[in-house]
Amino acid sequence: MESTIQPAIETRALTKRYGSVPALTDLDLVVRPGEIFGFLGPNGAGKSTTIRVLLGFLHPTAGGARVLGLDALDESVEIRRRIGYLPGGIAIYDSLSGAAALDYLSDLQGRPPVRREELCERLEMPASVLRRRVRDYSRGMRQKMGVIQALQHDPELAILDEPTEGLDPLMQQAFYGILADLRGAGRTVFMSSHILSEVERVCDRVAIIRRGRLMALHGVEELLARRKRRVQVRWRGSAPDLAAVPGLSDVAVDGDRISGTLLGDVAPFVRAVASPSLVDLIIEPARLEEAFLEYYADEPAEAEDR
Amino acid sequence: MTWRLFWQTLAWNRTRLALLLLACLGWGVLIPIIYTGFSDAIREMVNSGMIPENLMSFGSGNFFSLPGALTLGLQHPLAIAFVAVFAIGSPVAAVAGERERGTLEVLLSRPISRRWHYAVVAGAVLVMIALAVTALLAGQVAGAMAVGIADELDLGLLPLVLANGILMWGAFASVALAASVSFDRAGPALGVALGFLLVNYFLEILGSLWDAAEWLQPYSLFHHFDPGQILLGDGDPLDFAVTGLALIVPAVWALMVYPRRDLAAPA
Repeated sequence: MESTIQPAIETRALTKRYGSVPALTDLDLVVRPGEIFGFLGPNGAGKSTTIRVLLGFLHPTAGGARVLGLDALDESVEIRRRIGYLPGGIAIYDSLSGAAALDYLSDLQGRPPVRREELCERLEMPASVLRRRVRDYSRGMRQKMGVIQALQHDPELAILDEPTEGLDPLMQQAFYGILADLRGAGRTVFMSSHILSEVERVCDRVAIIRRGRLMALHGVEELLARRKRRVQVRWRGSAPDLAAVPGLSDVAVDGDRISGTLLGDVAPFVRAVASPSLVDLIIEPARLEEAFLEYYADEPAEAEDR
Repeated sequence: MTWRLFWQTLAWNRTRLALLLLACLGWGVLIPIIYTGFSDAIREMVNSGMIPENLMSFGSGNFFSLPGALTLGLQHPLAIAFVAVFAIGSPVAAVAGERERGTLEVLLSRPISRRWHYAVVAGAVLVMIALAVTALLAGQVAGAMAVGIADELDLGLLPLVLANGILMWGAFASVALAASVSFDRAGPALGVALGFLLVNYFLEILGSLWDAAEWLQPYSLFHHFDPGQILLGDGDPLDFAVTGLALIVPAVWALMVYPRRDLAAPA
């Protein structure tokens, strides 16, 4: 039975062309409320174009998009009242202090910055830093400001374009913690990213986009389950017969080592090698990176940014 | 929310507003003083044929009456440069400038429609223009009082001069804002707005200095800002109509174009 829950984001045959150059083609996407949704693709794939259509900055050539049940074109102002947005490579008013910039953006949002204090604390932006002018901030501090301004009013939906770009590993961890809390509070996050380990770690579902077309949309677990993983066993005595193991391929024997790639369930493989003769067993975790690279295997050099 | 944007737009300009209002005031004070000190001498030079009379009629102003001198002061390149900072610079910086810096994206991700954004910026720019023209006029009145010739002016007509000035400079600002909402970078918008201002100025000055080009003057907005005529009680309603229309047409165009524009990611 089809769910009647209203999607947080829904695009239907969304198409955007710049002149004759297609940026998005027939993009169908549904982001469920309360999930953290990863939007993956290389530069020029159409990630930012999609986000800009959702915000009403760009007008679709065909198809449409709805955000929180509202039309992205006709009800854009109401959408922006309810969301938080972090643009890629954010620019914030250089002449203002950090605190004044956050106040200004909060006033324009028309909602109190109920989460600012907590976000500043977690992202290590104390009052002494916020008193300084934005022009004196490092790239990482500007990015933290971007995250804070997007989330300080506790939006129902956060649209984050490359949110951890410029953040050091410690702050990335802090950001992941913030995402986890958002998920816990039932908020929806739509984030684009280049960092596959990040998406794998924090996202519930992921869409992979290529040249403006949706290539895949799966749960992260599902996507990983469909990936090949490297396996290796060391054996004492004669090698076991692995011919009957489903999904095992590229088998190579090197002395007492057997290696190969395994697609799908690992249980039959583990059963086949389970024996007192087994010396060592390595099953590498499936990485999203491999899934991603598989979709982009024949991708030419990076296209221009869209 | 709208007021916050309005005040912040003014606040971005507060330093230059303070400095240029002082400059406008100072320049205004100087005009009656120069007129009192030099008008007789200039008149004699013209009568003696040392200076062609045409050169004394710069734009719509002249140095033979206080209202004419005040017009000259208001159409002097220095006064134009002062007011153009607000009429050209501020509108260009407010949209195309923000777009170029990348801050427009953050601003428009708030619940502000582009039409409201335009209206708020236009309102703030008109306030700055009104302050600048008021400072120029206030300076002129103060200067006239200081040298004891204020009785040559009908001060009751000053609001009309102010209104005419705001309409003319508002028209230039309207063109600048229309350019600003149409470009992704401040440079081209500034070029269009400044070019429009310079062409208007050129037509007015050329027509005033060269009889054969006099027919060009009505095509200049500067020709339709004539404080001298207004202060003599002879203001032409057509001047208000022309400057008003020149303000409205680009505004309508901008209000149609801006919401329909695609705002792609900043380069």
